Amino acid sequence: MAEVSIEKLTKSYDGTVKVLDGVDLHINQGELVFLLGPSGCGKSTLLRILAGLVSADSGSIFFDGRDIISLPPEKRRAAMVFQNYALWPHLNVFENVAFGLRMDKVPRKEIEKRVMGSLEQVQMEKFIHSAVTQLSGGQQQRVALARALAVEPAVLLLDEPLSNLDANLRDTMRREIKRICTERKLTTLYVTHDRREALSMADRAGVMHNGKLAQIGTPDEIYNHPADGFTARFLGDVNLLPCGGGIRPERLKISEEQGKLRARLLERSFFGDSCEWLFELPGTGKVLVRELGAPVRSIGKEYFLDYDEAFLIPAPESGNEK
Amino acid sequence: MRSQTFLRYLLLGGVLLFLGVFLLLPIGTVLGVGCDLQLIAELFRNRIYVEGLWNSFAIAVCTTGMVFVISLGLALLYDRYDFPGRSFANTALLIPMVLPPFVGALGFKQLLGYHGVLNALLGHLGFAPVDFLSGSGVFWAVCFIEALHLFPICYLNLVTALGNIDPAMTEAAANLGASPWQRFLKVRLPLMRSGILAGCSITLIWSFTELGTPLMFGFTRTTAVQVFNGLTELESNPIPYALVVIMLAVSALLYLIAKMALKGSPAASGGKGIVNAGSTTLHSWRKFLPGTAFGVVTFLAGLPHIALICCAFSTRYSGTVLPENFTFENFQLALSNALVLPSIANSLKYSLLAMFIACAAGLLVALAAVRWRLKGSGIADLLAMLPLAVPGVVFAFGFLGMSVKFSWASLLFDPVNNPVWLLSIAYAVRRIPYVVRAVSSGLEQTPEELENAARNFGAGPFRTLVKVTLPLVTANLIVGGLFAFSFSMLEVSDSLILAQKQEFFPITKALYELSQILGYGTGAASAFGVWAMFFLGATLCAGALLLGKKIGAVFKF
Repeated sequence: MAEVSIEKLTKSYDGTVKVLDGVDLHINQGELVFLLGPSGCGKSTLLRILAGLVSADSGSIFFDGRDIISLPPEKRRAAMVFQNYALWPHLNVFENVAFGLRMDKVPRKEIEKRVMGSLEQVQMEKFIHSAVTQLSGGQQQRVALARALAVEPAVLLLDEPLSNLDANLRDTMRREIKRICTERKLTTLYVTHDRREALSMADRAGVMHNGKLAQIGTPDEIYNHPADGFTARFLGDVNLLPCGGGIRPERLKISEEQGKLRARLLERSFFGDSCEWLFELPGTGKVLVRELGAPVRSIGKEYFLDYDEAFLIPAPESGNEK
Repeated sequence: MRSQTFLRYLLLGGVLLFLGVFLLLPIGTVLGVGCDLQLIAELFRNRIYVEGLWNSFAIAVCTTGMVFVISLGLALLYDRYDFPGRSFANTALLIPMVLPPFVGALGFKQLLGYHGVLNALLGHLGFAPVDFLSGSGVFWAVCFIEALHLFPICYLNLVTALGNIDPAMTEAAANLGASPWQRFLKVRLPLMRSGILAGCSITLIWSFTELGTPLMFGFTRTTAVQVFNGLTELESNPIPYALVVIMLAVSALLYLIAKMALKGSPAASGGKGIVNAGSTTLHSWRKFLPGTAFGVVTFLAGLPHIALICCAFSTRYSGTVLPENFTFENFQLALSNALVLPSIANSLKYSLLAMFIACAAGLLVALAAVRWRLKGSGIADLLAMLPLAVPGVVFAFGFLGMSVKFSWASLLFDPVNNPVWLLSIAYAVRRIPYVVRAVSSGLEQTPEELENAARNFGAGPFRTLVKVTLPLVTANLIVGGLFAFSFSMLEVSDSLILAQKQEFFPITKALYELSQILGYGTGAASAFGVWAMFFLGATLCAGALLLGKKIGAVFKF
């Protein structure tokens, strides 16, 4: 497993649209780093530049201190799990997983062993001789992961690998991927726009905005101490307070007796295990409060809202409006 | 990376050079001689040539009209209804394509000639015989036989266009109160525009420049036949060159109009998430109606072929409804004729060479345009499609002119003493569009991510091409190759004009010569035609099985 350093990476299309604008990123050996960001922020382009499928305008990429920017894709050992899996329909499961090993001229016995090992790791060994077109989305996703694991890559790249799966399967696969990356100590860069996925799995996560890495840190750091309003808003709901700061909905406490703010209750949304309350602050707009459980409150009644100033975060340009 | 790009540009350069020399130069040669204002003015002063142009245009318009009506009706039936034998009916419609229409004309004369089947039938019913093929009858016979031969091309385009319409479009119209007729007029017809234009413009150009059918019917007042007849006095009379220039100009104009109209064509498919609405199943006796319509059209289209088969297996087929005296004699006569066996070997040789050339050039153009996206690949793509808009007669004339004008060309392809490369390249150039469209359509439907994945897992550019790209478009390449091969085997214009010595005659020229022999000629030519028919039929069936509904993409601009 390699240590990855990306320095001052830039990329623009048609010479005008800047997709990456001097990105610096360091990934430690065996670390699982997530890249988050809205569509068009450059996260997938960064991943494809790492894989060598797109060329950068300038900047460097080092794997264990070796600059690989000018290497063609086949020489980089940066195995990728594609968003649509990219399994070759004319090859069966075994042939798909063995492809990279054959390219590497690995002896046949070794190929069989490693293909089986990878398929076992993703619990797909029963399907070794199946046609990939007969597999379900989740099974195809597992085969794509096995294919990437089989080549024992220097870096594992995952491009929104769970976006085509249903919610239940996504939760299962999240745990599987996390387990495999931890067990095999894989240096992994994982691109997604799903903040829950990133916050629940990452060792560190970075938020990209307009071709730049706005902030990178542990999930706790970036969620609770976002560097700017954009990061704060991208990672979760933020209420704009009269003091100019922002606060997460779960950090506000509702009280009938006392608090820093007075607000009128407008709406209740019930989620089973939790409840969201929408309040109107006189003059400054609306705020959202999230609570575990579902206590009884009266719509239209005035309540007090309180918060700890230690939890104030940068506020986005517009607060939480629903 | 740099050497890989250099190699790709080198390959593209090679293809562009090939297309420049063997596509543009022949056209340029014709234009060089024929673009003489005095000559063109002289042409328009001559009543016979003007009549020829008018007849050709009238044939094109009438044929296209017939083709459109037949194919639209059948395409709508196929798209809308599920009926017994639906997929068989769809494949059977390709039958008319298994013979060049000029061979079908042989059979058609058998049906409608003064001593033909129809008059024999009328005689049995007590009516006097009618000379169907005299006066304007020949004109309509030419239109009818060309329409019956060409409608599958338009039909395939229309079926593809209908299949691409997102069912939600018509459902939305129905939801807003549109009647079935309004839905057809306001939604489906506009969304089918690209298919209609593609199918009709190919038919229009094809029938405008068709040489074989009017030639076989003796309808000499068409431009293509006038050009063909002018070959013998080419050195003293350059008018055929001017005629070819006019044909080229009209064809180019038709092609450009179709292209421009296609540009504004709305996208019919909804991309992701399209769910096929499925076909309506008819019940009781109604379920046989669509199949009957297909059957009637297929029968009509197959009649000339049936007549040809009857003629081939009988000693005498004149003045009777059914042939008399079953015999294999015509087949023996055909095979024993000095023209026949060498022509089969010649055609195989020319067509195989043409297939390999067309496949190599077509594959490179498709890769450069769809995958490599090289600068200049758009030009190569456009050039490769040009033969669809340029009549075969123009190319044949151009190659002939080149062999006279350039010494290197006369060395490479001498039409009198060694026309092997001349005919092979002439066949290949005109079949490149089929390969380009077939392979391009395969590449467009194959996610590029599959090739990226191969690169990502250690395969270099060449291995990616061999291990992933080519296997994924093999079916398309085979279909393009099959079309290139089979249409070369039965090519008419180049064969009639470029093969000048008997020992180099291909099948079609031999067939034409055989049909002109008095006495046993018709029977032997029919027997030879039967062989050719089954040969091309088998090829098309193989293509249809491999490509399924996508076969229509081969006949698209």
